[in-house]
Amino acid sequence: MNVMRMKRISIPRLFVTLFCLLILPLTLRAENAREYIAIRKQGAGRISVVLDKTVAKGGRESEWARSVDGTIRSGLDFTGLFNLLPAPLNVRQGQAGALNFSALNSVGAEVYAGGSMSNQSGKAILDMSVYDALSGKLLMKKAYSGDETQLRSMGYRFCADLVELLTGKKCLLFGSKMVFVSNRTGFKEIYMCDFDGQNVVQLTASKSISLTPAVSADGKYLAWTDYTSGRPDLYIRNLADKTTIRVGKPGVNIAPAWRNSTDEVATTLTLDGDQELYLIRPDGKLSRRLTFSRGIDVSPTFSPDGSKMAFVSQRSGMPQIFIQEVEGGTARRVTFSGNYNTQPSWSPLGDKIAYSSLQKNGEINIFIINVDGSGLLQLTSGSKYNEYPSWSPDGSMITFTSTRQGGRKLFVMNADGTNQRQLMHMDGDQQQPSWLRAK
Amino acid sequence: MKNTLPGFIGAAMIVLAGCSSKSAVTESPASASAPDTAPASSSAVAGPVLGDIFFSFDSSALSTEAQDQLKQNAAWLQNHGAQSVVIQGHCDERGTDEYNIALGERRAVSAKQYLTTLGVSDARLSTVSYGEEKPFDPGHNEEAWSKNRRDHFVTK
Repeated sequence: MNVMRMKRISIPRLFVTLFCLLILPLTLRAENAREYIAIRKQGAGRISVVLDKTVAKGGRESEWARSVDGTIRSGLDFTGLFNLLPAPLNVRQGQAGALNFSALNSVGAEVYAGGSMSNQSGKAILDMSVYDALSGKLLMKKAYSGDETQLRSMGYRFCADLVELLTGKKCLLFGSKMVFVSNRTGFKEIYMCDFDGQNVVQLTASKSISLTPAVSADGKYLAWTDYTSGRPDLYIRNLADKTTIRVGKPGVNIAPAWRNSTDEVATTLTLDGDQELYLIRPDGKLSRRLTFSRGIDVSPTFSPDGSKMAFVSQRSGMPQIFIQEVEGGTARRVTFSGNYNTQPSWSPLGDKIAYSSLQKNGEINIFIINVDGSGLLQLTSGSKYNEYPSWSPDGSMITFTSTRQGGRKLFVMNADGTNQRQLMHMDGDQQQPSWLRAK
Repeated sequence: MKNTLPGFIGAAMIVLAGCSSKSAVTESPASASAPDTAPASSSAVAGPVLGDIFFSFDSSALSTEAQDQLKQNAAWLQNHGAQSVVIQGHCDERGTDEYNIALGERRAVSAKQYLTTLGVSDARLSTVSYGEEKPFDPGHNEEAWSKNRRDHFVTK
């Protein structure tokens, strides 16, 4: 699967990546990395990495090192890109403790990553080195510093650098967050958690039905749908000052989506007897109407630049996914395979749309399709209801819900459908995950 | 929802009494079986029964059966001019939640429009969609699904 990923690296993107590598203040060996990426193009599967124990002198430093090692291991594991190998016993040799590349080769390592932890006036300094285990070339050497409370973020910064170094793609997983719905209190409420399902925080306590949370790309606003008034209403919360407004417009107010590069949120209202998509400002005022066709129009999602919108429409009979320019123009149908295609999510890289399809066998499965309607790819199968795909901010992964183990739970997978697993273990059902673009 | 339980009791009594239609509209069981019940307490003892109507998958079209039921509901409403009604639109668990919230609204609005054409004042009728959020039958088969694709009428 890595073959596919590598082949998609366009020449300009590769140049951008390499340029970034060259200008990074600490040593990223761009030439070697380019060679490495070129070699990986012919390879396949996960990258085998020996992740060595971080060396530290002193009790405090050793504790920091253990903590960072745990973070790096779980971070790299989360990406699904790596096969993490334990370091062979004879990984270092000679008086100077030079790396023993033949020992690394004998355990099948392609890459070696290791480093040391030191203490500079109470500050933790993590000095990491990455080698191509086959050629013995240094690919990257970089130091990360922070105080004791920043060990996790230091570890994740290294993980992101390693992913970018070895894949040529920017990694925005670590430090990202998602919002979702859970009924664990007996009511559906909105929650937020880290990208890996850790640090769950409850955001609403309306003891009603709260649904479809969405955070704006700049992280300023949360919009969601809530039945506190006895009917579905759109709510918008300013996440900085915690002020919340109720929009109070007629209709279902469901599945809000923030239009990228603007402050506006789209949702479905019923102002003239039909479910149409409208743009609303953060103060709750109506901005303008987006769709003009009989039947349901629902579940908007926007291109990264905010110029186009994909959405679900009933205009051709059964629900299908359409794309139109936000500034007007006719909608173009994107999905033609299957009779019931809903829940579109536009990739942050702009090229693909993930969606769910209710199939003839009764399963609901996740698919991705190119924006032009080509390249249809089924990502889930044989696992009951798989719904509500949402891309990670770098487009490398997709979170979704699945009932494959009984109740509805949050899952994640790589964007090619590999590495599907449950994100977290939480009481009750979880649904409608939305991965935040902002940190 | 507070009138739902008496409504069920009413429906159960009708079935026990041998009425064939599961969604038949009737006066409250108290007044049907005990005509001397004081009117003041009848609404508190047992609410009216406005029969549910049912839909096909992904449809808000009114079937002949649904239209017949709505005619009975309209007749009852015309005899009880003080009652307002919330029409709840519901969906089965198939399909996706957000789309079904919109579909539930269409189902509720279909019934409202039909009742209005039958002469029930628009001002007495409001709608709310619950999509899949409040299934009548929690089962995961067509029997449950067919019961959940419905409009439910709650007097207030």
